[in-house]
Amino acid sequence: MSRTVTGQHSSDKPSQLKKAGAIWDGPTPWLVLAVLWLAVFSIFPFLFAVYRSFFTFSTQSGTFVPAGLENWVRLFEDPRVWNALAVTLKYVSLGLGIELVLGFGIALLYNQDPFGVSFFRTAMVLPMVVPPAVVALMFQLMEHDSFGVLSYYAYKLRLLTPQEPFLGGEGKHAMTAILLPDIWQWTPFMALIILAGLRSLPRDPFDAAKVDGANAWQRFRYLTLPMLRPIIVIAVLFRVIDLFSKSFDYVYILTAGGPGRRTEVLSYYDWLTTFQYTNWGYGAVLGVFMLVILVIFGNVLIRVFRLRW
Amino acid sequence: MASAAYKNGVNAIRKRFRLGHVLMFLVSCIATIFFLFPIFWWFLSSLKPFGKIFHSPPVYTGFEPTLSWYRTVLLNESYVTQEIQSTGAVTGEGGGSYYSVPFLMNSIIAALVSTLIVTVLAAMAGYGLSRFNIRGKVHIVFWILSTRMMPPVAVAVPLYLMYQSAGLLDSRLGLILIYVAMNLPLGVLLMKSFFDDIPRDFDDAALVDGATRFQAFRMVALRYVWSGLAATAILAFIFAWNEFLFALVLSGDHSRTMPVAASTFVTSYGTEWGYLAALGSTAMIPTLLFILFVQRHLVRGLTLGGLRE
Repeated sequence: MSRTVTGQHSSDKPSQLKKAGAIWDGPTPWLVLAVLWLAVFSIFPFLFAVYRSFFTFSTQSGTFVPAGLENWVRLFEDPRVWNALAVTLKYVSLGLGIELVLGFGIALLYNQDPFGVSFFRTAMVLPMVVPPAVVALMFQLMEHDSFGVLSYYAYKLRLLTPQEPFLGGEGKHAMTAILLPDIWQWTPFMALIILAGLRSLPRDPFDAAKVDGANAWQRFRYLTLPMLRPIIVIAVLFRVIDLFSKSFDYVYILTAGGPGRRTEVLSYYDWLTTFQYTNWGYGAVLGVFMLVILVIFGNVLIRVFRLRW
Repeated sequence: MASAAYKNGVNAIRKRFRLGHVLMFLVSCIATIFFLFPIFWWFLSSLKPFGKIFHSPPVYTGFEPTLSWYRTVLLNESYVTQEIQSTGAVTGEGGGSYYSVPFLMNSIIAALVSTLIVTVLAAMAGYGLSRFNIRGKVHIVFWILSTRMMPPVAVAVPLYLMYQSAGLLDSRLGLILIYVAMNLPLGVLLMKSFFDDIPRDFDDAALVDGATRFQAFRMVALRYVWSGLAATAILAFIFAWNEFLFALVLSGDHSRTMPVAASTFVTSYGTEWGYLAALGSTAMIPTLLFILFVQRHLVRGLTLGGLRE
């Protein structure tokens, strides 16, 4: 228990064998490779992005020109950023909310072991193993305004009109169009996490509560929810990270941020700035901005729910 | 009289029980249809002749199933070649840019090798974090988690420049390196929580018997975390297999992965839905097999071992 960084290895048994393996007695050799790997691929790009954010890339000369705080000032004056932030927040909150509710519902249902539950559970894993880029293409085919199978039924059920389809028109339903693949693909993720959490709950408190006359809702509210809290927090954290920055695949393929800028999420705007407008400095600012938002969110979430690793 | 009332009661309970079960079964079926329909539709489309894929109202039956999309995508036979073959003549023309086996191979290699490295590094780092008292451990763990928060768009440019100077652009090795970095955070957290579940006494007993730390790790602790290793491997494989943005920016003709290749089937002349559907359907098979074998571990792994407060 009290094994410390410096270790007390060499004192107890100075046998030859022990000496050969003594380097493993401290934490360093265990961690060094992973930490170095992460450092090279995260600290370096991060520092590089911060550094580049003080330059602008001149397409004429092909070099970086010092720009001082220009890119950072622009962040606060650019209405497109605030639009993108609003779109992103809407996307994240809608996606997270729907996936959490549906996922919880499905987990509770499957936890009751309905007939055929193992088949249902296996089927649920399938959406997760299709690359999001391919999922986006699948939904592009299904959401096509005149030939899409989803559009066809949406028209039949009067949920949509051909004037305002999923993709195109004025974009009234463009948000739905990019949310659908995300919900389809990642609701299973939520459901599986929560289901595994439900399965790991101890039985005793529930039996005791039953004896004390607590009804099903009370047991859910005062036992299930609090006990599942850490697992739900983890699920929410990972989903928010992905909804926030990896919605790119769906937007890139399905709507390209359109119509207008109705679906231009931050990650897509960053992509456009960096690769279409070749404004690398400002693109770096946007990337750091996104990272800051996520780190703050992650810290708050972990503090508020007192999560311990 | 009493016995009749009793019987009535039992029947009522039985009936309600059965009704509840039927309802649960029906809702499960609806959820499963929701999850399977897009995949079913994609697969059906891959068997349809050209005119039936893009068709309103949607076509379910009554078409002549064709394997011609698969023959182009997997066997490098062009549409023209197939026509000629059926009439007896053979030409050497290939399927051109729709022949996708090389892309699938790139994806498989990048995903497999990165998964292998992630699993080894994550097991070691997870063990280190679990077994040693390190000052500021909480901060190290949060830092590891935060590297996953870097938006890929923001990492892409620094990475592109790094790779350019290191000659890693358009190589599988380059993709493997970044996929390892991308999947390490989750893997390390996962393995740490699995090792936390094993009492330290197990290792200590081995240490007392004269084993080195490394031997205690390899021969004792590792034996108890097989399902953790499996969960890490599955998740790392899925995320590497699904990855789009890094591959889009960093890969080229020699290393293009399947999701990126699929997105190139969308051309300015229109989208090649038949080839796409065939490629997408084929691409589900490797992960699907993987998942079917080790599903149990996936569910456990998704909860980060059995994360507690």
